[in-house]
Amino acid sequence: MSTWSVARWLQLIQHWQLRKRCLHSSAMVSPWRFLSFLGFAAAALAKSSTGNSVLVVLDPGSSRDNFSRFFDGLEARGYELTFRTPKDAHPAVIEHDHPEYSHVILFAPESKTYSSDITPQSLVTLLSKNTNLLIAVSPKATPLTSLAAEFSLILPPPGTPLVSHFPERDTPATVIPVDVSPSNPVLSGSLPPVWFSGVPFAFNSNPHIVPILNAPPQSFAADSDADSGADAVVEAADKGGEGLWAGSSLGLVAGFQTLGGGRATWVGGVDLFSDEYAQKPTLDGNKPGNEQFAADVAAWTFQETGVLRVDGSTHHHVNETTPRDRYTINDRVTYTLRVSKYNPTSAEWEPYSGIDGMQLEFTMLDPHIRTALQPTPGVPGEYSLTFRVPDRHGVFKFNVDYKRKGWSYLQSTTVVPVVPPRHDEYPRFLSPAWPYYAGAISTSAAFLAFCALWLAGDSAEPKKSKSTKSD
Amino acid sequence: MPLAYSLPTDLSPATVVNASSLLRIVALALISGAAIASRLFAVINFESVIHEFDPWFNYRATRVLASEGFYEFWNWFDPTAWYPLGRVVGGTIYPGLMATSGVIYSILHGLNLPVDIRNICVMLAPGFSALTAWSTYMFTKEMKDESAGLLAAAFIGIVPGYISRSVAGSYDNEAIAIFLLMFTFFLWIKALKTGSAFFGTLAALFYFYMVAAWGGYAFITNMIPLHAFTLILMGRFSSRLYVAYSSWYAIGTLASMQVPFVGFQPVRTSEHMAALGVFGLLQIIAFAELVRAHVSSKQFQRLLYASVIGMGILGGLAIVGLTYKGWIAPWTGRFYSLWDTGYAKKYIPIIASVSEHQPTAWPSFFMDLQLLIFVFPAGVILCFRELRDEHVFVIIYAVVASYFAGVMVRLMLTLTPCVCVCAAVAFSSVLDTYINPVEPDAVEEEAETAGDGAVSASSTAVSTSSGSATKKGKKAAPAAQPGPLGGLVSTVSAVVSTKKGEKSRGIFGGDTRLAVLLNALGMLLFFVLHCTYVTSSAYSSPSVVLASTNPDGSQHIIDDFREAYYWLRQNTPETAVVMSWWDYGYQIAGMADRPTLVDNNTWNNTHIATVGKAMSSSEEVAYPILRKHDVDYVLVIFGGLLGYSGDDINKFLWMVRIAQGVWPDEIQEPNYFTAKGEYKVDDGASNTMKNSLMYKMSYYRFAELFGGNQAVDRVRGQQMPKIGPTLDYLDEAFTSENWIVRIYQVKKEDPLGRDLRTANAFEQGKRRKRSKPVARRRAIV
Amino acid sequence: MAPKTVSSPATTNSFQSLLRSYNETTLPRLKLIDAFLLFLMLSGIIQFVYCVLVTNFPFNAFLAGFGSCVGQFVLTASLRSQVNPANRAEFKEVSPERAFADFALGSIVLHFFVYNFLG
Repeated sequence: MSTWSVARWLQLIQHWQLRKRCLHSSAMVSPWRFLSFLGFAAAALAKSSTGNSVLVVLDPGSSRDNFSRFFDGLEARGYELTFRTPKDAHPAVIEHDHPEYSHVILFAPESKTYSSDITPQSLVTLLSKNTNLLIAVSPKATPLTSLAAEFSLILPPPGTPLVSHFPERDTPATVIPVDVSPSNPVLSGSLPPVWFSGVPFAFNSNPHIVPILNAPPQSFAADSDADSGADAVVEAADKGGEGLWAGSSLGLVAGFQTLGGGRATWVGGVDLFSDEYAQKPTLDGNKPGNEQFAADVAAWTFQETGVLRVDGSTHHHVNETTPRDRYTINDRVTYTLRVSKYNPTSAEWEPYSGIDGMQLEFTMLDPHIRTALQPTPGVPGEYSLTFRVPDRHGVFKFNVDYKRKGWSYLQSTTVVPVVPPRHDEYPRFLSPAWPYYAGAISTSAAFLAFCALWLAGDSAEPKKSKSTKSD
Repeated sequence: MPLAYSLPTDLSPATVVNASSLLRIVALALISGAAIASRLFAVINFESVIHEFDPWFNYRATRVLASEGFYEFWNWFDPTAWYPLGRVVGGTIYPGLMATSGVIYSILHGLNLPVDIRNICVMLAPGFSALTAWSTYMFTKEMKDESAGLLAAAFIGIVPGYISRSVAGSYDNEAIAIFLLMFTFFLWIKALKTGSAFFGTLAALFYFYMVAAWGGYAFITNMIPLHAFTLILMGRFSSRLYVAYSSWYAIGTLASMQVPFVGFQPVRTSEHMAALGVFGLLQIIAFAELVRAHVSSKQFQRLLYASVIGMGILGGLAIVGLTYKGWIAPWTGRFYSLWDTGYAKKYIPIIASVSEHQPTAWPSFFMDLQLLIFVFPAGVILCFRELRDEHVFVIIYAVVASYFAGVMVRLMLTLTPCVCVCAAVAFSSVLDTYINPVEPDAVEEEAETAGDGAVSASSTAVSTSSGSATKKGKKAAPAAQPGPLGGLVSTVSAVVSTKKGEKSRGIFGGDTRLAVLLNALGMLLFFVLHCTYVTSSAYSSPSVVLASTNPDGSQHIIDDFREAYYWLRQNTPETAVVMSWWDYGYQIAGMADRPTLVDNNTWNNTHIATVGKAMSSSEEVAYPILRKHDVDYVLVIFGGLLGYSGDDINKFLWMVRIAQGVWPDEIQEPNYFTAKGEYKVDDGASNTMKNSLMYKMSYYRFAELFGGNQAVDRVRGQQMPKIGPTLDYLDEAFTSENWIVRIYQVKKEDPLGRDLRTANAFEQGKRRKRSKPVARRRAIV
Repeated sequence: MAPKTVSSPATTNSFQSLLRSYNETTLPRLKLIDAFLLFLMLSGIIQFVYCVLVTNFPFNAFLAGFGSCVGQFVLTASLRSQVNPANRAEFKEVSPERAFADFALGSIVLHFFVYNFLG
């Protein structure tokens, strides 16, 4: 599960460090170079940061041609698409516990049964292994319906698609033009309305959900076969017993950013991606936003956009440059974090300084210090902070945990012990103590003088000692 | 030797003296040999391994000292202990033990003897036991004479009460501390007898060594002032007392403050105030004596006395006042528990939970001291008969140590030397009386020395026989009882009877003497056998490795602990934090080399209570605690399969109590009992018990082991439910061969942000054909 | 502590007799010791007063300084009682030479610890 992804982070960091070292000694053959070569070779074809192989699972009823614009668009961007139906055993999405594809598109909302390699559990496993999922559901109850609950999405009862009678139009009430929010982090700029037909879902409180498209305010989920006006709403509520499926808080398309880095996007209706909807003019006669919307959603899901990563972090004493393996209390320490953002056009990781509001915590059980980590002026992609280590020894962690909707999560933890001063690091001679020093030294001196007098007294007259003792 | 008696005129006095001193040296050498040899059972039966719990830390610290040098050791901050608090090791230990081994190590390496540091650590305790025998000899010599000294040395060499803490591998502070204790006392007595500042200084130096080596130094800190104070009350103040005490206290106190762990305690805590008070009192008295020497006026003297007493009272009040104002720390909990045995249980469960801090059971007095405990009072009474200053010391020592030994098992150790000394005095008096050929009215100088020689010879016989008995005991294991014993008795009695045959004359009939002496020797022989038996059977188990006997009588080694610790070492990342109950902290650090939350240095009650809380609450409550402390693995000890009674379920109530002390609202001890107030783990166990993490980890999949039969917990003799507990937040990572050690891995947060119980239910809700890899498990035999 | 004990008796007569007796019966050698003792006592009192009135902040330095005075004081007092002919009977095994050697050894050990503790 996420153990694996943590290991991957470590690998990344290691590779980065290796690369840094290689810059100094070019003679060294580094695995990083080899890997990066592979990476660049792959990136030339695909724009995703995690890979270019895509498995598309299509319902037997629908064919690739229904979504040709979407799929051709993906292929044009370098993805390699493999198609299969839900019941085929091959090619398997996961084999020997190893995911075979970088991304899986599940456009099979009608199928009730899947072959053994596609189960809700294996899909979650895929996701935890950093395979991205694009899942479409329909009003039918399928295994996917139960899976949605795991993502904190609550689907309405079976057979209740989204219905809206506004605005007035010639299409059925279930085919709805939906306005796209211009400020969504996943989408590129403001898009014209998109055509949608399918089911909405309500959100449970889960911080990992990234709402992409919300239902129009006038819409509701209802039994569309017997659309009987306002009663439908009430009926739907009774039927589901789960409250009112209506209003703009319902989601139609929602992304999900997992802790491990994998992304999943849930789409309420597969038609959103179809050629038909992409060409269907909107009410004001313009081209709808479907095609661009689909491309944006795919780009986000396949980790092209909104992808950040921690390149590495270092820390050092304020007057030094190399990290220490431990710090003394009250030391001044500089912490530096380097962040890159994936650029899908050049398929490269570029230093990224645009993050605002990132915080560094210096934690032992509880954060002892929590403060803003600002970009270093002049050094792209670098964020640094200098602070005083608390007056408390223990094993501390530099903790950066940056989670924003639409962006991949940035997490970095570095453990460093903070120790008390060594025996020779305390201030040695203090001014208020001079009477004590004087006392001790005078005692010793007097002791020596006394010894001398005593030994002298053995031979000489004892009278003399009386006069000298006054000092 | 019998010849020495019959030919007193043929031998020059010098020859007799030389012969007896040679015999003494030989006897001491043999005693040392016996003392070392009898401590090697552990190495022979098992292997050269560090024992128990605390020694593992000492060993680890010594390795740091040996490899990094003294200054690094001094500044050693151990980030892996008490994670994440860390431990300032240099400032929280008594470094005497490690420094001793470090010095021995560097000396041996300086001599090009590349001895492994582990072997030095293992053999340190036996080596120092030989020194203890020698210092006891010196001490007893001051009490009575050389022959009593030899007897005392032989006693302390093999008495189980001391062996229990000093077998090979028991690398603990006590290993060197008893030697230092006896030697400091010897030097103190010597200083008091001669009134020499030299011995006082030496006593202070050894006191310093003792302070650096063992927390029990407070015993010396209070014994010597108590002795001095008693002498003053008895009107025995003398300048010798002044010289001895002043030089010891002034130098010793200053020296003891050099140990970082002790720091300013000698002037700040109540435990040390008695010494300071007596020091002040002595100064006042000495001054008064000085003035009295110059003044004759009766009235003046009376005033002087009044003012001396007044100042004494004032000083005492000042100390009390300072205590109240917080300048002087009041007594610590451990100290209170010495006076009120119920105190710790009520207020400080952490102290009460340590097995060493339990009150001593009566049988253990016999087990540890055997016949000495009966002869001991006789020795004390003999001390009363002479009642010189040093005898007062022994009497006080006997009284105080007897009390403490009754209160705490661990303090049996301080009683043992005193018992040996007193018993030796008594025994040697008996032997002296009955071997002495001189009739009571005839006084002859030379026969006296001859008698001495004879006594030392007899004790030589004792020590050699102890040596041979040890060897025989090894061969014949515990079964051997009458065979070798009969032989030994007959040979020894033959020796004695030949000796007696010539000696018997006068009014002390030979038969009476013979009977008494035979009786005494028989007792000594039984003592030797008992010591050998107890040592080999009870005190030589390393507790890291367990032994059981197969049906055919051969020994079966149960090595689960090391198996598990090495599993941790090999299979987990170096930074993986392991949580366990504090008993196993040092062993995990020493053998598995992994960070631990708590260990046997129980300095932080809250941290231990946190672990106790995690263990005794349900998974949902425990999980945030585990994550907060970055715990990767949880280790529990489970004896239910094998019948190993020292397991965590049996210690569980202590965890509950300690946690309750800190979180009385969340953890309540009564919830862990059944409605009838029983402590049960079977079907009838309370829900709180069944949901607790400790219960779940102990019995997870235990019932499966019995393949549908009734599962039985062999420690508690209870039948376990067929369906065992389930775990959602932990994965079983490792279970040792006999299930003694079970290690669980703490799951990471769910990537979808669900709580792990839901995630687990989802995983199991639909039967997955492609299952996740299950935790690797050994085939159960 | 000494002045208090002396001042408490009201009779100045006995005080004078004490002084007189001291002056008459004490050997010069012992007077040398007494002078040394007086010096140590004054030094100790000064340090103690400084500690109480001003600061005891480097507590180890205070303990070292004060301890050196007290330790030296008692060692010297021991020497005094050992070389005092009046105490001959009590110290059979300690000759004056031996006493001085003991004293020197003890003092050296003491000063070693004092300087170790001072800084």
